[in-house]
Amino acid sequence: MTKEFNVLITGVGGQGVILMSELLGKSAVKEGLKVRGSEILGMAVRGGSVTSAIRIGKDVYGPLIPTGKCTALVGMEPSEALRNISFLSKSSLVIVNTAATIPFTVSLGESTYPDMEQVLEKLGKAAGRIVELDATKIAQEAGSRLTANIVMLGALFGAEQLPIKTAAIKETIEERFPSKAAPTNIKAFDLGYQACRQALK
Amino acid sequence: MKELTISSDAPGERLFVLGNEAIARGAIEAGVQVAAAYPGTPSSEILETLAGVAKGLDMYAEWSTNEKVAFEVALAASICGIRSMASMKHVGVNVAHDPLMTAGYMGAKGGLVLVSADDPWAWSSQNEQDNRYIALQGYIPVLEPSSVQEAKDMMADAFELSEEFKHLFMFRSVTRIGHARGDIVLGKIARERRKGQFVKDRTWLVYTPREARINKPLMLERFDKIKKRVNTLPYNQLKLADGARLGVVACGLSYSYTLEALKWLGIEDRVSLLKIGTPHPLPEELVIKLLSSVKEVLIAEELDPFVELHVKAIAGENNIPVKIHGKDRLPRIGELSTRKVTEAIADLTKSKPPLDFGRLDKLEKETAPLLPWRPPALCPGCSHRASHYAIRVASKRVARDYGQDIEPIYPGDIGCYNLAYNPPQEAVDTTICMGGSFGIANGLAHVIEAPIVAHLGDSTFFHAGIPPLINAVYNKANVTMVIMDNSATAMTGFQPHPGTGYTAMGEKAVQLKPEDIAKACGVEFVEVVDPFDLKKATETMEKAIRFPGPAVVVSRRLCAMIEQREKRKRKEAIIPYRVDQDKCNEKCNACIELLGCPALIKEDGRTVIDSALCTGCGLCAQVCPYKAIVEEKP
Repeated sequence: MTKEFNVLITGVGGQGVILMSELLGKSAVKEGLKVRGSEILGMAVRGGSVTSAIRIGKDVYGPLIPTGKCTALVGMEPSEALRNISFLSKSSLVIVNTAATIPFTVSLGESTYPDMEQVLEKLGKAAGRIVELDATKIAQEAGSRLTANIVMLGALFGAEQLPIKTAAIKETIEERFPSKAAPTNIKAFDLGYQACRQALK
Repeated sequence: MKELTISSDAPGERLFVLGNEAIARGAIEAGVQVAAAYPGTPSSEILETLAGVAKGLDMYAEWSTNEKVAFEVALAASICGIRSMASMKHVGVNVAHDPLMTAGYMGAKGGLVLVSADDPWAWSSQNEQDNRYIALQGYIPVLEPSSVQEAKDMMADAFELSEEFKHLFMFRSVTRIGHARGDIVLGKIARERRKGQFVKDRTWLVYTPREARINKPLMLERFDKIKKRVNTLPYNQLKLADGARLGVVACGLSYSYTLEALKWLGIEDRVSLLKIGTPHPLPEELVIKLLSSVKEVLIAEELDPFVELHVKAIAGENNIPVKIHGKDRLPRIGELSTRKVTEAIADLTKSKPPLDFGRLDKLEKETAPLLPWRPPALCPGCSHRASHYAIRVASKRVARDYGQDIEPIYPGDIGCYNLAYNPPQEAVDTTICMGGSFGIANGLAHVIEAPIVAHLGDSTFFHAGIPPLINAVYNKANVTMVIMDNSATAMTGFQPHPGTGYTAMGEKAVQLKPEDIAKACGVEFVEVVDPFDLKKATETMEKAIRFPGPAVVVSRRLCAMIEQREKRKRKEAIIPYRVDQDKCNEKCNACIELLGCPALIKEDGRTVIDSALCTGCGLCAQVCPYKAIVEEKP
C-alpha cells in the first residue's frame, strides 16, 4: 500500500462536491483508515468554484493537499479541474467530467471559457493518466442527472487505486440516500466504475 | 448496530466529522448546558450541531440576535454555575467585545468558553483579524487546536480548565479547523446536569470603578496561575532533537503543516519542535528550553506575529542569543500550508526542496489566463436580484433631479445581497460590517447630495440594523433603508432568527416584522413590497427615495433555495421560462446585462434559459423589452 492518498475533488457550487468527500471520508473511516480533509467554498452558496480534499494515510496531518501531491483529481467540471493543475504530478490520475458549466461572466463577455481540447491536453500533460467521461450523460442513463457526482465517485473507484473497498463506499451511499434514491445512485456508481475501467483498458 | 452520531455515548468509537462538529462534540462531552451563538462562517455548524441534539441531552441552545447577546447569555449561565459557551466568527467577537473585556475581571463559575472562529485569507469575511490580540487585551487564555481530533479534546478540557482557574477561556479555531474533516475518537459524555443558582454578590457582579479596581488584581493573579499551568498542559509539547541547529515553534494548525514538512524533507530528527496549543499565555519554560538549545528558531503561525512577538520578548528578557525568524520567512497574509512551511524550513536548514515548486508555479501562471472567472453569484430565482434592480432603476430616476452627473450611493451589508457587488449589478458601494450599511448611510446623508439607498437583510437588521435606524430618525438623516427580507439567514445556511417564527431548538416563537419595528422607531415612511412585482416595487422605492427624511422599504420574498426545497417537498412542479427565439433580439442582451442570472446563458450567439437552473421566478420576462421570455408550458 502506498503511504498516502490525496484525492482532490473540484467543481462548481451545487454539483455535490462536498457530498462526494463526505461519502469518501466515511467509507475510509469504516475501513479503519486515518482520514483528513477540508473544503474550499469561498463565500459561495452557489455557482462559485468549490474544491474538497480527502487525504488518507498514516502520516497525513494537514487538512489540505500540498501542491504537486495529488494522487487523484476528480474534476466535476473541466475548467475547475484545470484551475487546480498545480496539485498534479506525473504520478497523478485525473478523472474529468467533460460536461462544462459556463459561468455567467462568459455570457456577460467578462471572461472566456477555454477550448475543451486545450483543457484536456493541459491536464493530460501535467498528470500521468487522464480519464475523460461525460458524467452528466451517464447520470441521465442511471436515471437522474443529479447523480453525476456519484458517477464520478464510481469512476474514481474504477481506477482501483484507493485503499477502500467498493463494498464499503456502496454501503455508505446506501446509508446516505433515502431508500427510493439509493438504487439510482448505486446504478450511477456502477456505470461510472465501468466507464473508468473501459477507459483505462 | 445503532448508527453512530455526534451525540452517541460511545467512548472509543471513531466518527468522521467536520471540525465544527468536533468542537460541538467536545462541549457535549464536557456536559455543556447552555450554548448561544450568532451564525457566521466558519463557526455556524457548532451551534447547529448542538441545537440539533440539545433536547435529547437536556441542554439549552439558542441563536441569539447578535454575538454580544450570545456572549452575555453564556456569561449569565456561568455566573449561575452552569457550563456554558458562546460561538461566533472572528468579527463577531468585535460585537461581543464590550462584555468580554469585563468578563476577564469577573472570571467564571461554571466553565465558560468563547469560541472564536478566525478566518485566515478571509474566505468568507471582510477581514482576517487575529483574535489572539483580543484575548491578550482581555487577559483571556487561548486554546488553539492543531487538528480536528485535538479540537474535540481541547474543547472538552476547556470547561475543566475554566472551572479549575475560575476564569473564562477562548477557544480559537480557524477555517481549516472548523471546516476541516477528520476521524475522531469519541470520549465519554458527562451526564451531570447542574441547577442554576444566582448568588447576589455585588463586589463580583456589579462593575463600578470600585469593583474594577478590586477585581483587576484578582484577574492578574488568576492569569499568573494559568501562565504557570500551561507549561504542563498536554497541548504544549517540546521535542528536542539531538544537536539541532534549528527549532520550530508551531502554533495551532501550523503544527500539522510542520509535521508534514519535516517528514517531507526527511529531517524530523534534525529539527527541534515546540508545539504550541496555548498561544496566550505561552508556556514560557518550554520556550526557554527550546531557545537555549538551538541557534535559530522559526515561528510557524498563521496571520499576525503574535507568538513571534512573545517569543522574542522571552528571548530578550532571558538574554538568550538566538536568531528568531517568523514573518520574515512566512506570510502575514492568508493561510499557511505544508508547502510554505516546507520551503521556509528547507531554506533555513539548507535542505533540498522535495519538489520543483517553481515549475508548479509556472504551470499555474501559464494556465491562469485560460480560466473563466467564476465568482459566486446570487442564485437563480433570488429575490435580492429583483430588489437590487428596483433600487437601481428608482434611484437613478431620482438622481437625475439632483443633477446631471449625480450617481445614487448604495451602502451595503453582510449577507447574500452583497454578491450583487459583482457585474452586472454592481449595486453595492460599501460593505464594512454587520449593520454598517445603515450606519454609513447616516453619515453620508450629512455630507453628500445624492440619493442614498442602504440595504441589509432581515437577520442583519435584527442583529445591528435597529440602532442606526433610530439614529436616522433622531438625527434627521435623509436616507432610504431597504430591508431585503428573504426570511432566512441564507448565506450561513438558513438559521432561524426573530423574523422566522421558530427557534434554534425548533420551537415556535413570536415572529417579529421589520416594518413594525421601523414604525415603532418613528420612521414615517414604511412600505412592504414583493420584489417580484417589479413595477410596484420600483414605484415604491422611488417614493421612498423622494420622501424627505428616513424611509424604510421592506422588500419581502422567501429565499429561493428554501422555496425550491419546499416546492419539492410539496411535489409542486417548478415551471421554468424559455426564450421565444422568434421574438428575441440576439443583440439586445438586456436580460443578461441587467440581471446576471446564472440560468440566462448564451449558446451559439442566442440567449437561452438553462431549464435545470431556472426557478420560474419570471424576473427576466418582466425586463425583456421584446416580451420574448415566456413560461414553459407544463
